[in-house]
Amino acid sequence: MLESSYKRMQERSAINWKISAKAGEGVMSCAKLFAKACKRQGLSVFNYYEYPSLIKGGLQSGQVHAALHKAHCQRRHLDLLIVFHEKFIKDHLQEIDHNSLILVNANAYDPSKYPELQARVIAVNLTKIARDQGANPLATNVAALGFCAALLEMDLQIMGRVVIEEFAKNKEAAKLNLLVLKAAFDAASKLIAEGQAPFLGKLLNSGLDEQLLLSGNEAIGLGALAAGIQFYSAYPMTPATGVLHFLAEQQKHYPIVVKHAEDEIAAINHALGAAFAGVRAMTGSSGGGFALMVESLSFAGVAEIPLVVLEGVRQGPATGLPTWTSQGDLNFVLGAGHGDFLRVILTPGDMSEHFTLAKLAVELAEKYQLPVIIMSDKFMLESQQSMPRFDMTNQNKRLSMVNDGQLGDNDLVEGEYLRYKVTEDGISPRAIPGQSKAWQLTNSYEHDQYGFATEEAFETKRAVDKRAAKLNSLIQELPKPIYEGSVAPKRILLSFGSTINITRDLLLDEELAAETALIHLPCVYPFPSVELENLLADKQAEIFVLEGDSTGQLAALIKRETNLSKLKSILRYDGRPFYSEDLSEFLRGKKLHEQYRLVE
Amino acid sequence: MSQALTLQNMLSPVQPTWCPGCGNFSILTALKQALIELDLPMEEVTLVFGIGCSGNTADFIKGHALHALHGRGLANAVGIKLANHRQKVIMIGGDGDIYGEGLNHLVAACRGNHDITTLVFNNHRYSLTTGQTSPTSNKGTLSKSTPQGLIEDPIGALSIAVSNGAGFVARAYAGKLKQMVEIVKAGITYEGFSLIDVQQPCPTFNKEQDYAWYQQNVVDLPADYDASSQGQALMELLKVDRLSLGVIYQSPTRQAYHTEVMHLASQSLIEQFPTQIDLSEAVTEFI
Repeated sequence: MLESSYKRMQERSAINWKISAKAGEGVMSCAKLFAKACKRQGLSVFNYYEYPSLIKGGLQSGQVHAALHKAHCQRRHLDLLIVFHEKFIKDHLQEIDHNSLILVNANAYDPSKYPELQARVIAVNLTKIARDQGANPLATNVAALGFCAALLEMDLQIMGRVVIEEFAKNKEAAKLNLLVLKAAFDAASKLIAEGQAPFLGKLLNSGLDEQLLLSGNEAIGLGALAAGIQFYSAYPMTPATGVLHFLAEQQKHYPIVVKHAEDEIAAINHALGAAFAGVRAMTGSSGGGFALMVESLSFAGVAEIPLVVLEGVRQGPATGLPTWTSQGDLNFVLGAGHGDFLRVILTPGDMSEHFTLAKLAVELAEKYQLPVIIMSDKFMLESQQSMPRFDMTNQNKRLSMVNDGQLGDNDLVEGEYLRYKVTEDGISPRAIPGQSKAWQLTNSYEHDQYGFATEEAFETKRAVDKRAAKLNSLIQELPKPIYEGSVAPKRILLSFGSTINITRDLLLDEELAAETALIHLPCVYPFPSVELENLLADKQAEIFVLEGDSTGQLAALIKRETNLSKLKSILRYDGRPFYSEDLSEFLRGKKLHEQYRLVE
Repeated sequence: MSQALTLQNMLSPVQPTWCPGCGNFSILTALKQALIELDLPMEEVTLVFGIGCSGNTADFIKGHALHALHGRGLANAVGIKLANHRQKVIMIGGDGDIYGEGLNHLVAACRGNHDITTLVFNNHRYSLTTGQTSPTSNKGTLSKSTPQGLIEDPIGALSIAVSNGAGFVARAYAGKLKQMVEIVKAGITYEGFSLIDVQQPCPTFNKEQDYAWYQQNVVDLPADYDASSQGQALMELLKVDRLSLGVIYQSPTRQAYHTEVMHLASQSLIEQFPTQIDLSEAVTEFI
């Protein structure tokens, strides 16, 4: 047996923790509870899941990075790995080294099977601990939590509360799981005292539990709710299904109607109907479902119906890798829908931005009467990240609507209202059914100012120009590129959407931060050409465009929309997110990890 | 002020572009007449139109209206009804639109028994695209898209509706205006999904089923017909030797979708716009 050079410490300000088991064995809830307990200890938390597209069996993992400061994303290197089945060790060999501890759910561990393994391994029958308390084997995950709590000297009270809340609907189960938690904690404490298990150092408690811990889907749902969304229709599709679940649950608290539609075409058209009738409406799917929606997106464009669409990207093409991340739908989202029409594409990065941009999306859609697409990905939509709390009370007012959206009588003069009135800023006050003297035809055909279909050349050009005129005021309200890091960098890492979480993690490394900067684009259309050119005007840096696709779609967009031409690309298109460790090695002169592609 | 519907205030400045002798003229007249007789305030009616000759009605009547995409109007109508269930929502489309491109939405609207009145202008052809066969064309029909004759059987759209939860299913004929007005009125009044299949000649592209053909093939349901029986309705719809006219099925028990939706017991959704919203409840699980 190799002598472990396991590093001992008394306190730790960060932990990289992972649980790996078969689908159906409670991995996700275990990781969620561990992440929540870390958050309650006042730590910054990121929780990343990997799972196959099936219900039982297959390898599934939940990975928590918690730190006193800025746990922006998952890390490759693990401090503590829990495997429910010994065979899963081999799936994580790249993530462990002599500083790692592996906890195997087994009576014994045979080191001869893994001669190369440098990590320390302890075998504990967690399932037995659960069974001994009268719980079923599913409670193995809670035993794992209890065991970890002892290894990291975490606050058992906090962990206990988290478990009780998880089983709030079933008091008996809550009691039983609490027993399992305590028994595993005691078992671990005993092993540590006997020197049979290592103490990993006390995971610090900042004492300031002020964050929220939620997924991208939930943050988007919350942001939309904050903005007064009242209608959400969707057809389930990973990774966007979480919004459907979250908002469906919120129906009991808020005046929102959620409709699980018969297909994505119905979903977007329900939302269009609801929006036409005056409520703030949204739909969401992944690329495949969004593909079914695009004719209707074009309808929203010509008819000027406010609509928010979430496109939660997963690795395509076609059914692709259903549960793995990608940014490969960028070109698709940019060009989705036949004909020329104005759209907004927001690409939130961190969790706060998922919240704020969803809110903004709803407001922009109504004010400018156009489709606003929120493009995110499996990586952020299904990961959890802690974010600062925000003001819980939101004020909303109707935008660009006749009589502020109030039904019934109004000050209009019979016969004078024009739904598509030509105005300087392109915005025509919108009437809705239920308002008197505001008769109008909202039309998928090209139309005149009233809304009647037209094929007349003058009317057509005027209508196209009217809609396009919104651009001037619209661009003033879009989120600008974000620049962080060195003011005189040798290199700039330019990305959109979720990748800022990785580049930010990279910049925590002071040595790299001294000569590196990041740029994040929270909006890719209308493209912030002037802002990006200005940011880069005085920089002599090498520019790397980081994106989750194989063809450099973002780089091509930047070249099309700006005067920038010297761009290098770092591409990843295997369903996995970027890892800051991989980028760090590359920036320090090593060859780029083979799962990425460098385009110079 | 509320304004009742009158022929005058529904009058559009746009002249119909239908062919002389088209059944659409009388269907539009029947719709207007039904609305007038129901004495509805004009702002409480929302019309949704599909694409095709029937959908072009959008330009020929004035009110609150949505001219939707081909096949998708019913899906819009569902959203409209949920957003403002006080609206009388009326869908107008053709046999290609509602029985072909949008069949999935028809089935879903039936299953939900959404309170939408759907008028299908059924001329058995895709006339706006110059007369190809439609889902209701007879087997063997010759058209530009089926020069060797149509191989499929016509769709049993009304049977689909009856067997999938539509609360009100009727058939009318464009050549019988008075009956059509009564059926449309009954459909609009019924709280639930009303499918009204209106048989109509297309003098330009359907020479086989002209007014004379219809005179031979339509027959009123007998006076003692029991429309509350789903089984009898299906039996009636299986008869191939005639097109029975009237209310074929009206469920005595089905609830309209919106009546079972939380929040829609009294105020419409749009009247509940949250000018102020407190997210405390929603964030509980994230703390």
